[in-house]
Amino acid sequence: MAAEPTSQPADAAPAHAGASTEAAQSGGGLPQFKFEFWGGQIVWLILIFAVLYTLLAKVFVPRLRKILDVRAETIASAVEQAKTVQAEADAQAAAAKAEIDQARAASRALAADAKAKATAELNKRQAAEDERLAGELAQAEDRIRGLRDAAMSNVNGIAVETAQAIVERLTGAKVTAADIKAAARAGQGAA
Amino acid sequence: MASPMHQFEIHPVLPLPTVNVPGLGAIDLSINNSILSMLIAASLIVLFFAVSTAKAAVVPGRLQVITEGVFGYIDDLVTGIIGHEGRAFFPFVFTIFLFILTMNFLGLFLVFTATSQLAVTATLAVMTILLVLIVGFVRNGANMYKLFVPAGVPWYMLILVTPIEFISFLLRPVTLALRLFGNMLGGHVALKVFAGFVVSLCALAAGGGIATLGYAGAALSLGGVVALTSLEFLVAFLQAFVFAVLTCVYLNDVVNLGHHH
Repeated sequence: MAAEPTSQPADAAPAHAGASTEAAQSGGGLPQFKFEFWGGQIVWLILIFAVLYTLLAKVFVPRLRKILDVRAETIASAVEQAKTVQAEADAQAAAAKAEIDQARAASRALAADAKAKATAELNKRQAAEDERLAGELAQAEDRIRGLRDAAMSNVNGIAVETAQAIVERLTGAKVTAADIKAAARAGQGAA
Repeated sequence: MASPMHQFEIHPVLPLPTVNVPGLGAIDLSINNSILSMLIAASLIVLFFAVSTAKAAVVPGRLQVITEGVFGYIDDLVTGIIGHEGRAFFPFVFTIFLFILTMNFLGLFLVFTATSQLAVTATLAVMTILLVLIVGFVRNGANMYKLFVPAGVPWYMLILVTPIEFISFLLRPVTLALRLFGNMLGGHVALKVFAGFVVSLCALAAGGGIATLGYAGAALSLGGVVALTSLEFLVAFLQAFVFAVLTCVYLNDVVNLGHHH
């Protein structure tokens, strides 16, 4: 800011103010063109700049550069590591997936196998059962046929006996079974 | 009211012996206000860097973030303009930038602005151009003439272009010095003039009567001072930045001679 403590001429030492205005007038107005102050400023500026440059170039810039390099290296290595881990994880995931697929295929094959076996077993058993049932059926039919035949033969006997009894009641004469049979046969033949 | 130029007056602070350099005459090595503000600027830079990088860690602290920000800013600038070879010149550009920036800012806080002294800006400009010349001749030797003879230009154009290039090269230190000097000088003179208006208009208004309106003018001037001060902060940074950029551009001309333009 332009708030200079000695900006009031009344405050400034009269000799100094007089000297400065005089110098400003003689120097063409600008205090910057009073060349008697150039030498000191130039020498000191070069000195200060040299010290500042040396400190920055030899101490602070390498320090910061090192930090930045270390950081860049750290980040790069971390990224590299993350990439490796990622690749590893991907490989593991792929392996796990392959394993799962394999297991699934195996279980599917096993299931199909078991199913086929069970079906075969079932078919076999069913066939056996069918055979047994067919056998029993045939047996039963045979028995029924035998019983029917027996019954049919019994019917003849019964009929003969009944006929004997009827004839005996009606006529009082005893007829032999053979006669009844012959008569029945004759009747059958007539019919 | 003191002259707006009074703020640029140099007066001794610490008298030191005058040294007689043969060929140059007597050089007064007394510390004056200009040298004092340069010393303060340089000390502040060193102090700030010493504190902020004392416990430099990979994960930076608050101060270190600022330092790294400035560092990265100039580093990007140098490598952006000169290329990867720019790293060798980074400390110089960094020093120039920090030193000018700090002196400019100090001028806004303290009484004296070292960069408003032509002796200072001219020395900085001459140092920069000398570095450019030394680097140019060391790297290119006799090929330095290519600086003034752009490749791919027909000979009849060269008759015109070469003197222009040569004169523009000669004017580089002049413009470098005058740009910074002029900006600082003008800004501070304007501030001083507006601040002076505040005082003189208030003094006028104190007389009473119609002159009371002077208070309004004083308030306007004060607003102007505030606005100009913020503008000067921008200029303070911008001029340091421009000086650093131009240093890079001039260095690039000789480092990559014949590669570009």
